[in-house]
Amino acid sequence: MRNYKIAWRNLWRNKRRTLITVASVFFAIFFALVMRSLQLGTYDHMFRNAIESYTGYIQIQHEDFWDTKVVDNTFIYSPELDQKIMSLKNSVGTVPRFESFALASTGTLTKGVLVMGIDPEREALLSDVRSRLVRYRLDKVSVESLRNSVLPEKIKKDLDLFSGNAYSSNSALAVDFNIEDRDSSLILPVFRQFASFSNGYLKQGEPAAVIGEKLASFLKAGIGDTIVLLGQGYHGTTAAGKYRINGIVKIPAPDLDNKIVYLPYDICQELYNAPGMLTSLAISVKDNDDNSIEKTIEELEKQLEPPLKVMGWREMNKLMLNQMDADSKSGMIMIFILYLVIAFGIFGTVLMMTAERRREFGVLVAIGMQKRKLSVVVTMEMILIGLMGIVSGVIAALPIIFYGYSHPIRFHGEMAKMYEDYGMEAVMPFLLPDMYVLWQSLVVAIIVFVSLIYPLRKIGKMQVVNSLKA
Amino acid sequence: MKVLELKNVNKIYNGSEVHVHAVNSVSLEFKEAEFAAIVGPSGSGKTTLLNLIGGLDMPTSGEIIIDGTDLSELKSSQLIDFRMRNIGFVFQAYNLIPVLTARENVEFIMSLQKWSKKDRDERTFELLKAVGLADRANSRPSKLSGGQQQRVAVARALASRPKFVLADEPTANLDSKSATTLLEIMEKLNHEEKITFIFSTHDPRVVKMAHRVITLEDGSVVSDEIRE
Repeated sequence: MRNYKIAWRNLWRNKRRTLITVASVFFAIFFALVMRSLQLGTYDHMFRNAIESYTGYIQIQHEDFWDTKVVDNTFIYSPELDQKIMSLKNSVGTVPRFESFALASTGTLTKGVLVMGIDPEREALLSDVRSRLVRYRLDKVSVESLRNSVLPEKIKKDLDLFSGNAYSSNSALAVDFNIEDRDSSLILPVFRQFASFSNGYLKQGEPAAVIGEKLASFLKAGIGDTIVLLGQGYHGTTAAGKYRINGIVKIPAPDLDNKIVYLPYDICQELYNAPGMLTSLAISVKDNDDNSIEKTIEELEKQLEPPLKVMGWREMNKLMLNQMDADSKSGMIMIFILYLVIAFGIFGTVLMMTAERRREFGVLVAIGMQKRKLSVVVTMEMILIGLMGIVSGVIAALPIIFYGYSHPIRFHGEMAKMYEDYGMEAVMPFLLPDMYVLWQSLVVAIIVFVSLIYPLRKIGKMQVVNSLKA
Repeated sequence: MKVLELKNVNKIYNGSEVHVHAVNSVSLEFKEAEFAAIVGPSGSGKTTLLNLIGGLDMPTSGEIIIDGTDLSELKSSQLIDFRMRNIGFVFQAYNLIPVLTARENVEFIMSLQKWSKKDRDERTFELLKAVGLADRANSRPSKLSGGQQQRVAVARALASRPKFVLADEPTANLDSKSATTLLEIMEKLNHEEKITFIFSTHDPRVVKMAHRVITLEDGSVVSDEIRE
């Protein structure tokens, strides 16, 4: 008689008890995975937004620039510097930037903005500004036209909800309006007809700008309008210039969307009277895992001399990392409480099972079953309970995680405003299954194993005569 | 041939206030194929003596020697192994493994001893047939009557051809007809398999069929009658 067969049959002696225990493990793993996926997915999304639309994974800067972001803390951008960087295995390309602040105005409206001088083509390696150009804009006129169009009623109902929004891709539009793939060929042409937005882009040497969608709304500026920038240039000179708005971009980080002005970097150098200078040189990398990034930073540090300094994404996003770390810890506490409740549930079952079967354990040892073999059977029973709970919990959580990944939770109205006030996009995507699934399963498995200590100890110390009297 | 020998065995339970001398200087010998009953009033030490003989409990002093092996010299795991190979148990409350069928219960000890599948099947069938339950081989204990469960327990006790079988009040929970059937089966197997049976009992039917009757009082043997 195989041990697992006895263990399996033992489980079903008291079906209700086994099912309740399996259910407790199931709900623990299910909620832990869904909660963790949502939490990690949100962090991942925020990181990506911050890294891919702004900092990149690695940057070279003047050593004082990070603390004092003024144009005096710039460095000379030379072909030799590019060569050194491109000699590294993990380098794909360099992305030059000239970044400073200015006052921007159109007509009577003025706002402090972040001016980002970029290479219009090479920027595609990092934040890909071109792909963020607005394709659809739901202003009052377009919303009214769409309302009178042939769109299905359920989409028309949502028009008020999303009025004022801009979209840089079909997929973003499809997510907000819940447009299924099979319907997109009918619905998207209607949006294209009534809400499409024509954009231009930047070209090196051309004095033109691309601005954030929220900034454009604030300044009431559109394509073809002129934006005037006024700031302080290199060594205290006055930086002033006027530029045609060629395009409007939708940046997923709302804070940035509200203040970004892109210029070609040579035009930006001209504006700030700092020809040949850069504030940062971002590096596009092949592998963006922590180890590869650390290694690349180390290699770069060996090759560069002051005043150049290498900055990693962690150093550049310290505040966000700390906030996420604190939030992650509070999430862990919630999960810990969940596990604690489950652990007591499992332990209660084990306790009852051990007490109920004391006599049976005594009989088995009396007729010749070694205690270690009996321990194996009991261990198998608990492993089977744990496995059933963990596997079913993971299976139930996966479809929700996949759905939540492809259909992130989007907040609207006041909630969305609150998120955006904190500089976050009002969206909570799930993270696809990753190591966290393994970790959560492992934690539950450890709980099951820890609860096993009690029956195994009881079996080990069992006096057969006393057990037979039970 | 001598299969079991008790030499001046004592068992004293030390309570907080009183010491109970449950078995008092018992010396006995059992030969192959004996059919012996240990009788005596409640509290006379029958079950304690059986537990000591079966290695389920250790004597305070004295020696219990089975087939030349002194039980007190065995480690815990060796003792379990020794019990499995040499001693069969029949309990008052049957104590079959509830999740196993009658066949699997009988087979259980043989599989612990790693008998081949063929040998196990043959022996199981032979024993279940002997106890009249070949047709209920695939029934779980919960589907069998008390008498049938005890017959399976007897088959289980004999499965690995032990030196002797210890039966603690085997008929106590059975009706008259089931008890008689069980006793007849045990006597028949005692004959056929040449295995020693030692019972503790209050049941006059068991006493009547026993070939040897040992009477205990206050833990001491007061008579040891061998019948022809």
